[in-house]
Amino acid sequence: MTLNLRQKQTECIARMLNLNQPLNASGTTNEEAYKILIYDKFCQNILSPLIHVKDLRKHGVTLYFLIDKDRKPVHDVPAVYFVQPIQSNVQRIIADASRSLYQTFHLNFSTSIPRPLLEDLASGTLGSDSIQRISKVHDQYLEFVTLEDNLFSLAQKSCFLQLNDPSAGDREIEDIIEKIVSGLFCVLATLGVVPVIRCPRGGPAEMVATALDQRIRDHLLSKNNLFTEGGNFVSSFQRPVLCIFDRNFELPVAIQHDFRYRPLVHDVLGLKLNRLSVQGEKGGMRSYELDSADTFWVTNGGLEFPEVAGEIETQLNKYKSDVDEVNKRTGGNHGAEFDGTDLIGNTKYLMNAVNSLPELTERKQVIDKHTNIATVLLGEIKERSLDSYAKKENDMMVRGGIERSELLGVLRGKGTKMDKLRFAIMYLISSETINPTEVEAVETALRESEVDTAAFQYVKKIKSLNVSLASANSASRSNIVDWAEKLYGQSISAVTAGVKNLLSSDRQLALARTVEALIEGRPNPETDVYLAFDPRAPKSGSGASSSLLKGPFKEAIVFMIGGGNYVEYCSLQELAQNQQPPKHIIYGTTELLTGVDFVEQLTLLGKKMGLGNVGSTSAQ
Amino acid sequence: MQFKSTQSSFRDRTHEFHTVAERLKKSLSSSSSSSGPNGPSSSNSPYPSSSSPSSSSRSEDPRSAVAIQSEFNRRASKIGFGIHQTSQKLSKLAKLAKRTSVFDDPTMEIQELTSVIKQDITALNSAVVDLQLISNSRNESGNVSTDTTSHSTTVVDDLKTRLMSTTKEFKDVLTMRTENLKVHENRRQLFSANASKDSANPFIRQRPLATKSAASASNAPAPPWASGKQVDGESQPLLQQQQQQQQMVPLQDSYMQSRAEALQNVESTIHELSNIFNQLATLVSQQGEVAIRIDENMDDTLANVEGAQGALLKYLNSISSN
Repeated sequence: MTLNLRQKQTECIARMLNLNQPLNASGTTNEEAYKILIYDKFCQNILSPLIHVKDLRKHGVTLYFLIDKDRKPVHDVPAVYFVQPIQSNVQRIIADASRSLYQTFHLNFSTSIPRPLLEDLASGTLGSDSIQRISKVHDQYLEFVTLEDNLFSLAQKSCFLQLNDPSAGDREIEDIIEKIVSGLFCVLATLGVVPVIRCPRGGPAEMVATALDQRIRDHLLSKNNLFTEGGNFVSSFQRPVLCIFDRNFELPVAIQHDFRYRPLVHDVLGLKLNRLSVQGEKGGMRSYELDSADTFWVTNGGLEFPEVAGEIETQLNKYKSDVDEVNKRTGGNHGAEFDGTDLIGNTKYLMNAVNSLPELTERKQVIDKHTNIATVLLGEIKERSLDSYAKKENDMMVRGGIERSELLGVLRGKGTKMDKLRFAIMYLISSETINPTEVEAVETALRESEVDTAAFQYVKKIKSLNVSLASANSASRSNIVDWAEKLYGQSISAVTAGVKNLLSSDRQLALARTVEALIEGRPNPETDVYLAFDPRAPKSGSGASSSLLKGPFKEAIVFMIGGGNYVEYCSLQELAQNQQPPKHIIYGTTELLTGVDFVEQLTLLGKKMGLGNVGSTSAQ
Repeated sequence: MQFKSTQSSFRDRTHEFHTVAERLKKSLSSSSSSSGPNGPSSSNSPYPSSSSPSSSSRSEDPRSAVAIQSEFNRRASKIGFGIHQTSQKLSKLAKLAKRTSVFDDPTMEIQELTSVIKQDITALNSAVVDLQLISNSRNESGNVSTDTTSHSTTVVDDLKTRLMSTTKEFKDVLTMRTENLKVHENRRQLFSANASKDSANPFIRQRPLATKSAASASNAPAPPWASGKQVDGESQPLLQQQQQQQQMVPLQDSYMQSRAEALQNVESTIHELSNIFNQLATLVSQQGEVAIRIDENMDDTLANVEGAQGALLKYLNSISSN
């Protein structure tokens, strides 16, 4: 049974809209009741990628509002609230109830409402004598945003910044870890699985893993818990493995320029909650939706951009030929005699043509949409010469260095300030040793282009303190070299020089490599030192690493703390497909960040460390 | 704490909520009663103005508005239930129409069911029209909020769409039925081509034609022919004659058949054409139901509201500066 997160979350929401009664087979409401849906901003982000207004109507929801909006009374109609359990929402609910806006209130909180807030709600509604209107209170455990079948995000902003903030106190770090654990718990509750947890030692990953393990244990102790499916002794084959990583495990992925379609659209055009706004061909902004219903997006999201353009071309030609065929069959027969059979055949063709019209129109719309997106992308790429950035960054990672002249040439060439900053940081990460003079030159070049170098300084500092960046990098390089040597048996330098053409998109991320090792369960020096938690095992046995915990898994949930992006998602999906037999990997993160967003967080960190523009006129 | 014992990913806190409320009620009633009225004011609602006028407007809110609202709701739920039942009957009809074999044709049942469904749909149609009149009159009376207006409009629209989809399904089932009949006829023609097979064939063949009004005319003359010919009989020459007659009967029958078939073809063609035009019409009308997302209109309205707010502020400034 493969876990489809999006489907499960949609089912939960549908059930919630049906006033938490089980749905009948056709998926529509049992009772003929019309209701009103009210949500807050966070829950709106949860709902919008999953349900359209059409589906809301199917479930009997007539109106939908934000909780903060000024709403008028609609008597005699039940209202379904889907909000976060926070104080302002509770106050608003009390106000609504006291005004008797709706007949009955069905309250659904996105995660468990804490006891004090529940008491506030009770006292507030008692006071205004409207408690009889509150008919139900539920904890929904849905506090996460699912963007695709296997992609979710906790929508928690600036996690990396807060976790790595030098001035952060213990209390704040604990709060953040608590929030992450709560989000992960919601994901697991919705999927209905208790996974085996693996994580590297140290850092936020270990903290989250321990806290999550504890939370699941406590929960399983209660009589009727949320994970009743699957017995207590189900083998580890059926359970997925939850791999938790921290962003610092592999920094370059979040920063580099990638040239595949999905990451490009996300990075360059700003894809948010599967929605995209681009300049239309005839002027004016067009808004598009890119989700699992868009077959072109799903199949071609992982391709490099030039291939995508070719695919659009192919689809367009196929569409044109189909339209021509339809025209040929139906048109041009106006002068037919009223012979019985001929008329029948004619109408049959006509009917088929009319039936295929909606499908053809939809195909055309999809093709137009992607043509528009590709055109805008192409403009951006040309203007910022993003292809050369992507290629050179890839070269740097593979080769471990770059010619100084080339480096400075790029820094003085085309591209936005952010592009140059990202390139400089990639250089810093990819080079084995830091050559002080080169770094100086780079900094001068950056300053010439008026780029704020705080992020650069931060990474420099981290690199000098931290060895893990380099190890992850060199491991990826050596892996490629081993592979290349095995296949070609040639000298290393020749291979690495020429290998970039073959591996332009196949350089395996450290993350993918580690996840593969964890899934396969073969002894691997890197992953053997990882911690393992099994919330189902009795406490005493959890100390010894039982073989159950390391065995091969069919499914994995990979979670990245501090921010992830589509590059990792695409790589993990490729990994899952390439396994024999194909496995299933769900990827989640605290928030989906573009390269620009992430570098901004690095800049803020650099500024907090007091590493602003050294030598600039503004004093710290 | 009460937990749901089913395999669900949510938890019901209602019982807990009620226990908390009970406890608080007891503690409130045991303490001085003056704490009661303090409740609403201390609840920190950021909308203090809403509580006082709402209480007064609640009392003056005529019962009729609430009564009309519930009347509307009752009717809407009745119509919805009616549509649900009709679609169930429709699925039964579809099953019947699909499973008809060559010899066992539940024509009567299908006829009955078809007429029943037709009546249902017409009744529901008029009920929906009535509902819309009610909601329009109520909206114009001005006693209700804008949200209620949009709610009732949406409900009426939703019912209309569902009724339309049910009607479309009905038409589809009828089309399928006609196609099935044609298939059966073709098969029967294959059977009737070897005339020695079944002498009872001509009679049975006539049956599907009975459902079509166009073919009913051909039904009447055929049996007298056939029955008339088969009454007289001697042995050998009779056999020959019978064979001849049987060949003649098929000939006559085939002539009738072909005429009936031609009529049927024309009828089905017209039927399909009407289908096509209906589909075109629904295609056009359904453009309004484009897949819009929940957060889509918000940005527009936000911009508009901000623009409006700015304009109002400017106006205020210009006035107050006088």
